[in-house]
Amino acid sequence: MITVEGITKYYGPKLAIDSISFEVRQGEILGFLGPNGAGKSTTMRIITAFMPPTSGRVRVMGYDTVDDSLEVRKRIGYLPENNPLYTEMKVESFLRFAAFAKNVKRKNIRATVDTVVGECGLHDVRRRIIAQLSKGYRQRIGLAQALINDPPVLVLDEPTIGLDPRQIYEIRQLIKDLSGSRSIILSSHILPEVSQLCDRVAIVNKGKIIAVDSPSNLTAQLTDHRIIEVYVGERMDETLELLKDLEGVVSASRFNSHIQVETPKDMDLRPVIAKKIVEAGIPLMELHAKEMSLEDIFMELVTEEEV
Amino acid sequence: MRSVYAKEMLIYFTSPIFYAVSFIFLCVLGIFFYNDMTYMSMLASRIAQYQLSTGLSLDKIVLRPLFSDMSILLLFIVPIIAMRLYSEEKANGTIELLFTYPIRDVDVLAGKYLAGISIIGILLGMTWVLMLLEGTVVTPDWGLVLSSYLGLFLVAASFLAIGVFASCLTRNQIIAATSSLGIILAFWAIGWFSDVFSGSSIAKVLGELGLMEHLDDFLKGMLNVKDAVFYLLFSLFFLFMSLRVLESHTWRG
Repeated sequence: MITVEGITKYYGPKLAIDSISFEVRQGEILGFLGPNGAGKSTTMRIITAFMPPTSGRVRVMGYDTVDDSLEVRKRIGYLPENNPLYTEMKVESFLRFAAFAKNVKRKNIRATVDTVVGECGLHDVRRRIIAQLSKGYRQRIGLAQALINDPPVLVLDEPTIGLDPRQIYEIRQLIKDLSGSRSIILSSHILPEVSQLCDRVAIVNKGKIIAVDSPSNLTAQLTDHRIIEVYVGERMDETLELLKDLEGVVSASRFNSHIQVETPKDMDLRPVIAKKIVEAGIPLMELHAKEMSLEDIFMELVTEEEV
Repeated sequence: MRSVYAKEMLIYFTSPIFYAVSFIFLCVLGIFFYNDMTYMSMLASRIAQYQLSTGLSLDKIVLRPLFSDMSILLLFIVPIIAMRLYSEEKANGTIELLFTYPIRDVDVLAGKYLAGISIIGILLGMTWVLMLLEGTVVTPDWGLVLSSYLGLFLVAASFLAIGVFASCLTRNQIIAATSSLGIILAFWAIGWFSDVFSGSSIAKVLGELGLMEHLDDFLKGMLNVKDAVFYLLFSLFFLFMSLRVLESHTWRG
């Protein structure tokens, strides 16, 4: 559906994105994850044909974003960063304009607007002026205008930014409902969001893609060691010494309430550790392997890059 | 194009700028009209008093000064009407919507320009109250009135093209309005410099470039194809330049 082939973008002398390539398949949600200023919005603006790349190219459903810009634009629904809207207009007239501008047939405009108003939960506000509405509603209006011509591709730039937790939940739910056979690219710097919503995640930093994979694969691939957390009732120092001497343990260190043991990825030392502690007569309260979250991976990748 | 036109018209009618501008335009014009009319009635009573044989020309005393005042007022008002057309979209970021919707840049421009033209048409249309008011007292030379309106409309269309161009250049509406005012004044004043080079061919070129020079014949009731073509080409030139500026966003980054 979307093929990004080695796009590079310079703003004057400043390199914004550096030969990024990736693909989005039909029905897939791709998350674009990265710190602010990593080049997420620039990439999205290039995909939506708002601006051309300095080099490389993007094809959306086979159409080049530079040569067939209009064809690309017909097939993309775009929610730009900061969700710009014509705030002096009423919700309904704005959506009517969006439908009209996106070549929805005259006689279908009313029905189309009704559909997106229903999908995005805008019933109560359809006759209100956008400027008077809350951020949550505005975000839904932004989504509604993106959806209005039922595009096969959706590009959403930070769809949940600045919303309260309940609104974030609602918007996420909405995006999930929308996915179906559509391809969606969404950017975010909120990690749980990406891991919950997306089939695949592209981690970007400083204009480069550092990793693209499913959240679970990323977690599996990028952990080169396993961390086991051990909680004991008493004699913590003694336990620490005990574990340090254990065969296979890379390191063991004491935290406030527990001991963290680092072991190689392909070894599961949990039974050995449990046995050792119990044999020594120390009360073992809890012992578990710590799952490395996307957050840890992200931090690791981003900081690795900086070193 | 029609979608953008409809949107612009809707925003014009919901924003206070249009109402403020037309209120002031009509008030000031009303005052001028009142002045000219009282002057005229004063002259008329003098003529009656001294039983002079000269006839009074309504056209010369009321209409021509009124239309030429109108052209000056338009000079200030059209930049204000035009300033929001692109600058506002740039400042609010909505330009990103407009440029990712499947509408060609030229259609967006045409929609916006025609919306501005319609607003000018409405403004000029409202001044017909004065013409009708006058028509109840005397019969004006309707040919002169029509040709003057045509001239004013054309000159305002040229102002608007300059205003659109300036609006493409900046995201700040005030800078857009001021710079279009500057460009308009420059094209107004350019004719004066023809005196400096009098006799040479530069004088002729400069004289022809002046924006207001081409209005004179219209206000005298003469329709010159040359003048009309000048205004059309002038507008097209600035619209073309606007399109170039808009396209530059694709390579300037």
